[in-house]
Amino acid sequence: MSKPAKTHKIKMMEEQLAKKLNRQVVGSLVGCVHCGMCNDCCHYVLTHPDDPKMTPSYKADQVRKLFKANHDWTGSVFPWWVGADKVPLTDDDLDTLKDIAFGTCTNCRRCTINCPMGVDTATLNRLMRGLLTNVGVMPEGVRVVSKDQWELGNQMGVLKEDYIDTLEWMSEELEEDLGHGEAEIPIDKAGAKIMYAINPREVKYDPRTIKEAALIFWAAGEDWTMPSEGWDNTNFGLFSGDDGLGGASAKREYDKARELGVDKIVISECGHGYRSTRHEGVNWSGEAEAFPMESSVLTMLRYIKEGKIVVDPTKNPQRMTFHDSCNNARSCGFYEEPRELLRLVSTDFQEMYPNRAEGFCCTGGGGAMSMSEYTPRRLKSGEVKANQIKETGAEVVVTSCHNCVDGLGDVLKHYEIGCEIKQLVDLVANALVVEECAVMKNRPAGAPMPEVPDALKPDAEEAAAPAVAASTPLAGRRVLVVDDEEDIRTFLVTVFEDAGAETMEAADGDECIEKAKTFKPDLISLDLSMPGKSGVDAFVELRRTEGLQEIPVCVVTGHPEFRQVIYDRPVAPPEGYLNKPVDEDKLVSYVAHIIEAKDEKAN
Amino acid sequence: MHESSSLLHTAEVVHWAALIIMAVVYSLRLRWLFKFKPGADKSAPGNPNYTDKKKGAFYSLFNVAMPWSMESTRKGFTFYLTFVIFHIGVVAGIALAFLSTVAPNLVANPIFAWICGTSLFLAFLVAIYRVFRRLLKPVMKLISTPDDYFSLLMLTAWFGLGAVTQAHVAGVAGYENINLLVAYLFLTSFFLIYVPFSKISHYLYYPFTRIWIGRALGHRGSYPIARG
Repeated sequence: MSKPAKTHKIKMMEEQLAKKLNRQVVGSLVGCVHCGMCNDCCHYVLTHPDDPKMTPSYKADQVRKLFKANHDWTGSVFPWWVGADKVPLTDDDLDTLKDIAFGTCTNCRRCTINCPMGVDTATLNRLMRGLLTNVGVMPEGVRVVSKDQWELGNQMGVLKEDYIDTLEWMSEELEEDLGHGEAEIPIDKAGAKIMYAINPREVKYDPRTIKEAALIFWAAGEDWTMPSEGWDNTNFGLFSGDDGLGGASAKREYDKARELGVDKIVISECGHGYRSTRHEGVNWSGEAEAFPMESSVLTMLRYIKEGKIVVDPTKNPQRMTFHDSCNNARSCGFYEEPRELLRLVSTDFQEMYPNRAEGFCCTGGGGAMSMSEYTPRRLKSGEVKANQIKETGAEVVVTSCHNCVDGLGDVLKHYEIGCEIKQLVDLVANALVVEECAVMKNRPAGAPMPEVPDALKPDAEEAAAPAVAASTPLAGRRVLVVDDEEDIRTFLVTVFEDAGAETMEAADGDECIEKAKTFKPDLISLDLSMPGKSGVDAFVELRRTEGLQEIPVCVVTGHPEFRQVIYDRPVAPPEGYLNKPVDEDKLVSYVAHIIEAKDEKAN
Repeated sequence: MHESSSLLHTAEVVHWAALIIMAVVYSLRLRWLFKFKPGADKSAPGNPNYTDKKKGAFYSLFNVAMPWSMESTRKGFTFYLTFVIFHIGVVAGIALAFLSTVAPNLVANPIFAWICGTSLFLAFLVAIYRVFRRLLKPVMKLISTPDDYFSLLMLTAWFGLGAVTQAHVAGVAGYENINLLVAYLFLTSFFLIYVPFSKISHYLYYPFTRIWIGRALGHRGSYPIARG
């Protein structure tokens, strides 16, 4: 039977491949001897022992075949001899390649550092992703996120007004915490020394990290700003293999930093964001000279060493372990400073093995969190990480990466490990002894000394607790709690009622619609996976029902893989999305903000 | 070159001709490789405390002699040992082929003969193990091409023939069988011509791929690998 003719897409991929070849890539393409040494280094292989297709060299061979068929002497003349006869020919073949390149590898680069030949297999997998992306073949999540990053300048589709609104909200929170407005977050402050670039996840799901960073900058007496544009340090170009997107995203940050005239970009804790902004972005965007940049971890460490901030490690007494982001550790050599900082701000650190450049992926790398179709496989591959964490006996897993926070969150939940996940900014902010920090010591003579709240004074953790419990940010609000699990409903109801809200419960989608009509809540806390009418269906119905469509919905789910499902519905997206287990304070402040934002819009 | 038989003389001439062909093809291979533009990392050094391109390159180039440097060789130490034996066998086989044409007396020296013959024999055993590994292990079957199988089978035959040839050249079997040496030289000649077109040419690329990845990760600060 004769082979089908190459489709247009395949021809385009071959043309693109020729453009992307450089000496190092070609070295990796010709260097593999198929020795199989990379096999046992991959978390997908270790957790799928019966599936040989998980081996890294097989994944890299997909692009290697294309190369050999088109560029290698032997492959051009005798393709079958070197496996170059099995190149993709049809668009169906491209779907298979998509599943291999996106669904069986997180580009963690662990195979790269374990290859005796020095073959950079992860780079070859990224090359294949780029070839596929170039012809429009990619998982739907990658397409959506890439589109958002191209069009809105950030990968989570955060609108500029929402971003600014969140910064203002955090400024207000800080003012409430501190009792004065000195720590307000500066936006677009020309001539500041530092421009702080963050992960859009911080705006959308975890704004507390912005507040914590602002507190630290204030305490250190730093001259800093956040930009109104070019603030997203993440870069989906790294994941999709699209160097064009990678360059454009990084350039937004560099251009904004130059426009503001800052000395340095400080990159918040994000592994791939750090790698993309600090390193790869410089190359993708064709920068003649790299703009000065550093990770916020280095900034915080320097503040402590220079005495600009003072920390009390006893405020973080739990047993902690550290998870290295693959991008930080393997691709940026950034692994000692986070440990140094962690030791300074906590009292019980337990190393995880293997670690640093040899650590295993959290499973969320390579954009895996946005590809819900591969979630079951990804979670299975997380067994390696889960076992690593279990062996430490830690109560808290600390990581310097937002992607890892999500990836580890899924793994801990899936393997039922009762660990908290924190970032270094959380720990530093918690350990701050503000009254001994630079902002208090270096005040000009005669300047009034702001009072330091109890929560930020040394050994004041207990004293702070009642203050938090006593606050009622949801006073006068009505919250409908929808969840099929009674204990979770009870928990959520208790949290909301403690915060001053009036609540009502519903156990499935039908009850949710019914009670929404009668109770007229200010917000619905909605679980997604429920028997009968699911949360997804209930959500769509809410959005399509006159009188209910304006009610803000905060999804609270134990199935993070549903995120894509709900955002793909042809209706307005939910106002909030939180993963279980949910932190009480975070839930209350998040929900309060959603309701306030809705009020402001209505007014 | 000695002239104990015209057949042997022919084998030696073919062997040297094959060597020249291999050198020419290898030169063309390198020229081809270096025609691709070099990938440059314009970003600032990754971590001032650890960044060192030269150190990274040096570490990377010689990690073949540091089985502790990679998890794959640390945990798979037995496989690493077979790798060492296999490649010592390659060196012994090349030495036998070349020295038999330029220093036949040395090849017949008992000490040389024992070292070279033993190396070839052990490499032969390892090669047989590798053939079965490639044939039986699902992962290896999946990633193997005809070139992988052929190269390995030919090397297995070359090691085996080399070991027997060395034994006869040294008179270990009680007599010298010149025909074995002729066959060995012809097989080596075939190899010399085939190798630049096969996976066996990996050793040509090895220094480059290792130095390049070493420089790249050295610049970022992740090479040499630190453990704690």
